[in-house]
Amino acid sequence: MSFDFSKAMEWAYKDMLTFFPENVSTFGGELDSLFAMVYYASVAIFFITYSILIAFIIMYRHQEGRKAYYYHGNNLAEFTWTLLPTFLFAGIGLVSDDAWTKSKYSQRVPNPDVTIDVMGFQSGFGWQFRYPGPDGVFGNKVRNQISSANPFGIDSNDVHGKDDLVIISPGGARPVEAHLPINKNVLVNLSSNDVLHSFFLPNFRVKQDAVPGQWIKVWFNGTKAGRYEIACAELCGSGHYNMRGLLIMDSHQDYDVWLDQQYKLQKPVLSAPVSDSSAVAAVASDTTTTKN
Amino acid sequence: MQSATAHAHETLGHDSHGDHAHHHDVSFIRKYVFSTDHKVIAKQFMLASLFFLFVGGLFALLIRWQLAFPGEAIPLIGNILPDTWVSDGAVTANFYTQLLTLHGTVMIFYVIIPLAVGMFGNFCIPLMIGTDDMALPRLNMYSFWLVPPAGLIMLTGFFFDSGAAAAGWTGYPPLGPSSGAGQTTWLISLFLIGFSSIMGATNYMATILNKRAKGLEMFQMPLTIWALFITAILIVLGTPVLAAAISMQLADQYLHTSFFMPDNLLIGAPDNSLLTGSFVQKGNELLEHKQLLGGGGQPILWQHLFWFYSHPAVYIMILPGMGIVSDVLATFARKPLYGYKAMIFAIMAIGFLGFIVWGHHMFQSGMNPLLGTTFMLSTIVIAVPSAIKIFNWLGTIWRGNIRFTSANMNALAFIATFIIGGLSGVFMASAPVDIYIHDTYFIVAHIHYVLFGGALFAIFSGIYYWFPKMYGKMLNESLGRKHFYWSFIFFNLTFYPMHLLGVGGHMRRIYNPYIYEFLQQYQPLNQFITVAAIILGFSQFILIFNILWSLKYGKKAPRNPWQANSLEWAAPAHPGHGNFDTDIQVYRGPYEFSHPDRETDFYPQWEKPKDEPQGDEKAVPETKEHSQSA
Ligand code: HEM
Ligand SMILES: [Cu+2]
Ligand SMILES: [Cu+2]
Repeated sequence: MSFDFSKAMEWAYKDMLTFFPENVSTFGGELDSLFAMVYYASVAIFFITYSILIAFIIMYRHQEGRKAYYYHGNNLAEFTWTLLPTFLFAGIGLVSDDAWTKSKYSQRVPNPDVTIDVMGFQSGFGWQFRYPGPDGVFGNKVRNQISSANPFGIDSNDVHGKDDLVIISPGGARPVEAHLPINKNVLVNLSSNDVLHSFFLPNFRVKQDAVPGQWIKVWFNGTKAGRYEIACAELCGSGHYNMRGLLIMDSHQDYDVWLDQQYKLQKPVLSAPVSDSSAVAAVASDTTTTKN
Repeated sequence: MQSATAHAHETLGHDSHGDHAHHHDVSFIRKYVFSTDHKVIAKQFMLASLFFLFVGGLFALLIRWQLAFPGEAIPLIGNILPDTWVSDGAVTANFYTQLLTLHGTVMIFYVIIPLAVGMFGNFCIPLMIGTDDMALPRLNMYSFWLVPPAGLIMLTGFFFDSGAAAAGWTGYPPLGPSSGAGQTTWLISLFLIGFSSIMGATNYMATILNKRAKGLEMFQMPLTIWALFITAILIVLGTPVLAAAISMQLADQYLHTSFFMPDNLLIGAPDNSLLTGSFVQKGNELLEHKQLLGGGGQPILWQHLFWFYSHPAVYIMILPGMGIVSDVLATFARKPLYGYKAMIFAIMAIGFLGFIVWGHHMFQSGMNPLLGTTFMLSTIVIAVPSAIKIFNWLGTIWRGNIRFTSANMNALAFIATFIIGGLSGVFMASAPVDIYIHDTYFIVAHIHYVLFGGALFAIFSGIYYWFPKMYGKMLNESLGRKHFYWSFIFFNLTFYPMHLLGVGGHMRRIYNPYIYEFLQQYQPLNQFITVAAIILGFSQFILIFNILWSLKYGKKAPRNPWQANSLEWAAPAHPGHGNFDTDIQVYRGPYEFSHPDRETDFYPQWEKPKDEPQGDEKAVPETKEHSQSA
């Protein structure tokens, strides 16, 4: 165990805004500048109120023989300091709303270029991704076909489902990478089969809880190729901390190459029924059911 | 000022009398254990909650150790803890999750609420409204005696094979109902403590409405009483909803209902093997459990119910503190409280708005984002009365003559930390800003600025302020000051950097952040926080030592040591059962400090006006009328 005090102090002197990890999504910048706006307003309010507080503490400290000012207050003052913060805070609310609706309202999700399904899972703690396969169409999902071998519940009677690509990524140090293209509108349909998780992409400023029984639309558009971490932000059990995933943002060509590779490797989920327990064991032993 | 000291001396004789008056006819058990005296019950709340404060604090330090030095043996105790909790002396992931769950639950339900509401409610209400006891003393006794069993039931979870509750203090389903017996104890425990809250709150309302001293109008009550009154209303309206939600979660766990559970769940991590009720084992593998029954429930429903109680609950925790701080500041600034009525209306506004903002905890939960917009606006509105209060407190010390007693330093610290906690609230109130910081350490920083920096500092302030009336002894001021400085400095060093971690994206509730590459750089900062937290934790022993030392060696307290105005100071220094040794008649409001027509800088509520009340004409016309009719 070692404790580097000077290293810790280095952090303590840095401005709060410098702590943001690099932003690589189109609307992330907007969210960051909203944060910065509230931050600067707060710093201003902080300095004003703290100066007053400290000045009063010093100026009006106890002195023998002095008598305090007998004064019960003033309605004009009350009025002023009710209205000022109301306007300020209401302003913050109004300018916030556009960014909110843009990132979360399903009506405002732009036409997706790429759509995938994502689920967090708790038995082993990690993420499952589904791509529509070479035919570009997802198979239907049927709730009563959900099993650990077929976590998305792909309907065995639907031809579109036969070629769906499913990637199961256990968390921890060596997750299985999921790839997506940059400069494309990506739509993620998010859910879970067990408990709540939260799909957190720090660099994309994306966070959305995954709720069993509900498919929630999440979208983003990545601006920079690279390797980014996926985190879980909602307590989902003792392995919650371990739900690390990896998202590789590729150029469009690289993405296609990767997809082709995956299609060749994959063994369709539905063609060879495996017993439930062995599938779970496969997940736990750090391989994917789709790659063997 | 001289006359006050004289007054205090002259009444010392009464005190010992008051103290012993009932000694002979009440057994020890009835007097100290199953007592119906509100002051004894207040002390019991204080003792129990201070005990839980150290329990919760210990959990926090274990959590902090793991975040700073993951996998390294806990110093001193690591190697004597059982294998179910530690491996090689370091906490396991499973135990860590239990610790963070019980840390939050203990601190909120067994420390802050019982101290702010149970202790001060019981101690202050009858004394400050000038009456002998609560309206329903026996209910009051029950309300305390539910607390120790409720708390212990929850802690027993640690001794189960499957461990204590581990779904966070928010207990979200499906994780909550799908976990083991620990969660059951957690649910039962909260149900009981909620019951205790409701009994207390009904009693507070009945007492304040019906038992005020002669001449005491509602709008002459000190802010502490007003705050407790509104708090009691919040408790009575909110807690039943929590009780309902808890019952539903228990039913999901054991009665095969599915209020919160959708169908076809695949639940059962290897270390989560104790599944109950609606989960059935499939095949020989313990790994998979499939829910066969029911289905069609909605996990988010729990969040709505939980936060419908728990957002008002954060005000249940802070409003009494705001009241205490208002009284302490006015007394030690020797000035009338600035904007007395505005302060009361602000409390009412907070109380009302507190019931329509719960959704701000659920911006990322998957509820309709349209609701996000609504809750963003209501949340932003609720910051306004908080701001009003800050300005009025500043107005109160403006042109005062401020005495820096331990009580007052803690009250001033409350203002300082509440400004920061309120401002961080505004960040999260903006729904799009919240997307990124939700469930990160930014939230943890906010919580602690308002609950430790806010509620707990106010509670400290109240303890320093009323201790003389509770025990008839003065607390040691120099120890009090030391406790304050250490707490205040290390509080800020512990919790301010958590904002930075949050902006860095550091999630809350994670056992080992360094699994993530982007968080590895924050280990030194986490270590810094841990060192500060350890010092902060140990600083609290100064308070305990001060209490114990002063009980034995402290100066005997006079009747009105702070030269304050409110009615509790009219009672004997260490009041016995029945509280007052004189008939209390109220002539004015509680904040008549530094009145220009008076020699002394205070004017107690119970002091009869001189025959010629020229100066008081404005302040007390209604009171005079009242006293004539009485
Ligand atoms: C200016 C007033 C306040 C505003 C605008 C505000 C706003 C918020 C918001 C929006 C959240 C949710 C953040 C998230 O989870 O993403 C939150 C969380 C919280 N607030 Fe406040 N707050 C205020 C004052 C207070 C006060 C006075 C208290 C307590 C005394 C408090 C206690 C809490 C707690 C305990 C949580 C976290 C609950 C959890 O997720 O574990 N807040 N606050
Ligand atoms: Cu998780
Ligand atoms: Cu809230």
